[in-house]
Formats: sequence, C-alpha cells, structure tokens
Amino acid sequence: MKRPKFKNISLLIATAFSIFIVVSLIDSCKVSQQVAAKSGAQLWAENCQRCHNTPSPSTFSAEQWETIGLHMQTRALITDDERKKIVDFLKQ
Amino acid sequence: MTQQKNIIRTSFMLLLIILQQTAIKAQQTVVDSSVLDRITELEKQVSYKKSGEEHFLVVGVATMGFAAYKTTNTIGGIASTSKTNSFPDADNFEFSPMLLWRHGSKFLMEFEPSFNNNGLSVNWADVSYFAAPGLIIRAGYFVLPFGTYAKREAAGWIDKLATDPMGIADMTPTDYGVEVEGGLPLGNMKMNYDLALTNGNQLNPDGTLTNGNIVDNNNNKTVTGRLGLLPFSNSSLEIGVSGMFGKVGDQGALVQNTSGNLYAFDLNYVKTLSPILLNIKSQYNIQNIGNVNYLNPADSSTYTFNNHTSSFFAQCSIRPVGAEGFLKNLELAGRYTTFNTPSNSTFGANQHSVTIGLDYWLNWRSVFKITYDSYTNNSTASKNLGAFTGTTNINTFYLQFSIQL
Repeated sequence: MKRPKFKNISLLIATAFSIFIVVSLIDSCKVSQQVAAKSGAQLWAENCQRCHNTPSPSTFSAEQWETIGLHMQTRALITDDERKKIVDFLKQ
Repeated sequence: MTQQKNIIRTSFMLLLIILQQTAIKAQQTVVDSSVLDRITELEKQVSYKKSGEEHFLVVGVATMGFAAYKTTNTIGGIASTSKTNSFPDADNFEFSPMLLWRHGSKFLMEFEPSFNNNGLSVNWADVSYFAAPGLIIRAGYFVLPFGTYAKREAAGWIDKLATDPMGIADMTPTDYGVEVEGGLPLGNMKMNYDLALTNGNQLNPDGTLTNGNIVDNNNNKTVTGRLGLLPFSNSSLEIGVSGMFGKVGDQGALVQNTSGNLYAFDLNYVKTLSPILLNIKSQYNIQNIGNVNYLNPADSSTYTFNNHTSSFFAQCSIRPVGAEGFLKNLELAGRYTTFNTPSNSTFGANQHSVTIGLDYWLNWRSVFKITYDSYTNNSTASKNLGAFTGTTNINTFYLQFSIQL
C-alpha cells in the first residue's frame, strides 16, 4: 500500500516540476530590457553578419527592403521585432 | 464731323478690344486643355506607381570561375597523374535569379531557377505565410532544416571558399512538403525552431539515397526538425541540433520498412574582435540507413554492409575590418572537411580535404576568390565486389567570382 502512495508523490513532484519548467520557459519567452533597447542599426550589425556581410541601405528601395526582410527572416529565423527594426533602419 | 470721327474711333477701339479678348480667350482655352491633359496623364502615372499590395523583386546569385586539377591515383604503390582544367569551373558555375513576390505583409513567394553543372533546375519554389510573431508556415519545394550550411551559407557570394564542404550540402535534401518555423526571444538569449513534413528520401538499390522526389515512394512522410539557440545577447554564437526521420524504402518492396535516420550538429560564431572580424562555422552530419540487402551494380548480385555515412567541416575566416583601403577588403579562410561513406560497400571511402583561400570583397555582395584545395580519398570499398581500392589525391586551384544579383 505504501508503494502507490510513493508513486503518487513522485507523479505529483514530476507534474509540479514540469509545470514549473513550462511556466519558466513561457515566462522567459520575452525580450529582456537590454535586448529590447537595441536599435535597428545595432541589430543590423549583429544579425546580418552571422551569414554574410552587412548590406548597404542604399542597395534596395524602401518597398524592396520590406520584401528582403521577410525573405531573410525565413533564412536566419530572426524574431519579428528584429526584422521590423532592421528593415526600418535600412529604409531610412 | 468731329463727333462722327469720335464715334468711328470709339467703335474701332471697341472692335479691337473685342478681337483681343477673343484671341486671349481662345489661347487660354488651348493652354487649359494641354494642362488638363498633362494632369490626367500624371494622375494615371501616380495611380500606376502607388504602393499597392503586391511587390515583385528579382535578386539571386551568379558564380563563375576557373579550376585547374592535378589528380594522382595510387594502386598497389603505382601512381598515375593527370592534369585537367575547366573554364568555367564545371562544379561551381551557377546563375540563379531568385524571384520574390510579396503580397501585403503576410505572404512571400520564393522561386529560384538555377542554371548550373546539372543543367537547368530549381533550387526552391515555395509560399510562406507569416501567421503570427514567431510563426511562419511554408509549403512547396524548399531546403530542409537540416544543419545550417545548405539553407544559409552555400551561396557563392556568402561562402568564403570556392567549394562546398563535401557531404554536407549533399546530405541536406530539398523536398516537397510543409514547414513551420520561427525565431523567439528568450530573455537575453534567442532560440529558433524549424519543423518540416515532406515526402522524404528514397532508397536506391545500391544503398544510396535520392531526394527531391515529387511523387513519394511510400505512404510514410519524413519529419525533419532543427532547434537553434543563440545564448549571447549579441547573437554572435548559434548552436543547433537537427534530426531527420522517415522510411526510405519503396512501398511493397522487401526494403519497404527500411528507415533513414539522420542527425546534424551545427555551430556558427561571428564576432568582431577589433580590428579583426572572426568567423567560425562548423557542421557534423550523420546518416544511418537500415542494413538490408543492396545491389552490386557490377554483377547485379546482392550483399549487405553497415550503411553509415558521416561528414564534418570546420571553417575559420578572418577579415581585418579595422584596416584601411585595400587590406580592409581582404579575407583569409581555411577549412577542414571529412566525408566517410560506408566501408565494405561498392562506394566506401574515407575522404578528407584541406582548403585555404584568399578573398577580395569588391563590395558587400560581390567577391573574387582564390582557393586551393587538397583532397585525399582512401578507398574502403570491398575488394571482393570489384571496387577501386586505391588512393586518390586531387589538388585543385580555383579562381572564382560571385555576386548577389
């Protein structure tokens, strides 16, 4: 009779631990203040060079940068906020 | 008499004024008409050029060059050497315009036909829907999320060296299916995910795989996924792990339950350590296919072997971004690659190559490369099957130019 009780406690602990992990992960899926404060220029410098040289803003028109931004997001898997900030910087 | 003269003079003056006003009015009518026409024309042009919802853009890549090969085959201590060259380098020529259509801010269509050493082919043709922050849904024909080299680093104007690391891109299929992917913030870190469901690889009778088949050879779909983590807030480091799982045998054949399980681990580190830009890239691929009876193409007999393949590369490049003038545009790169195909098969080999290169960047997206590659192939194929069992060395000198269109 004792073993099922121990099993139940273990199950309870495992469930609580799983909920804690999931809640922690969900809670951490937001941008820190340090990252949120980054400018488009800084994100452009940090992210583009992960694969290739940083592009010149004069290469494409504002509308074209919107298209390029979406294409690049599918490749580098940058976040939506990063893409918007980088494209806004390149459109200037 | 005088009064009569005054009347005539006044009448004449009035006539002149009337004629003048009529002429001015007629002239004004002509001017107004041309201005109106011009305004109408401009309105048409403005209407045609308004931003609208649809945007079309052509980009892409062109790569061309020259390669000189010195090949030495050694069997039983006896060596034979030959020298060849090709202009342009047949394995590294590519002209691939990429067509991008954007509908509003949610849909993107990508189509990249390619003229290369395989003739005319298609690199990808897909539609992406940007469903929500961190969620992109794609369908069509696309590069699978297996490692990062094929999807991000293979283009000639991105790759620091004239050649692809052998076995890396070859083990990353382009396939038909659906895919979900996205990038998510994780506090100071970031993560990304990519999951695809596709037709999958198909097993050839000799134990190798083919991919990119528009008709599936069985009812089992292949799952390919990658998880990437960028642990630093400056995004300088990304590490990733990938897996690809699915049945590869033909439906109804003896090998119909044979599975192909592939794994990949990738690393990308790019950081400016003033005055140098340091760029390190690496990927390790593993491919395991079930050990069933395979066909010996030499005599159509069957045999079996441990169908395990692996490939690895590590590449480092440095660019003096803090320098001035000519020196700032130079980049020095080196890479070590291994590619081991199944021993005791008809195509078993332990291959490795050392590649070094010097690049000159004409601008951010066009580069002139000088690359030297030393390749060694030690055959591990089965002597009993009549395969080549010697050693091959190929030293190659490449000149290559690549530009993003």
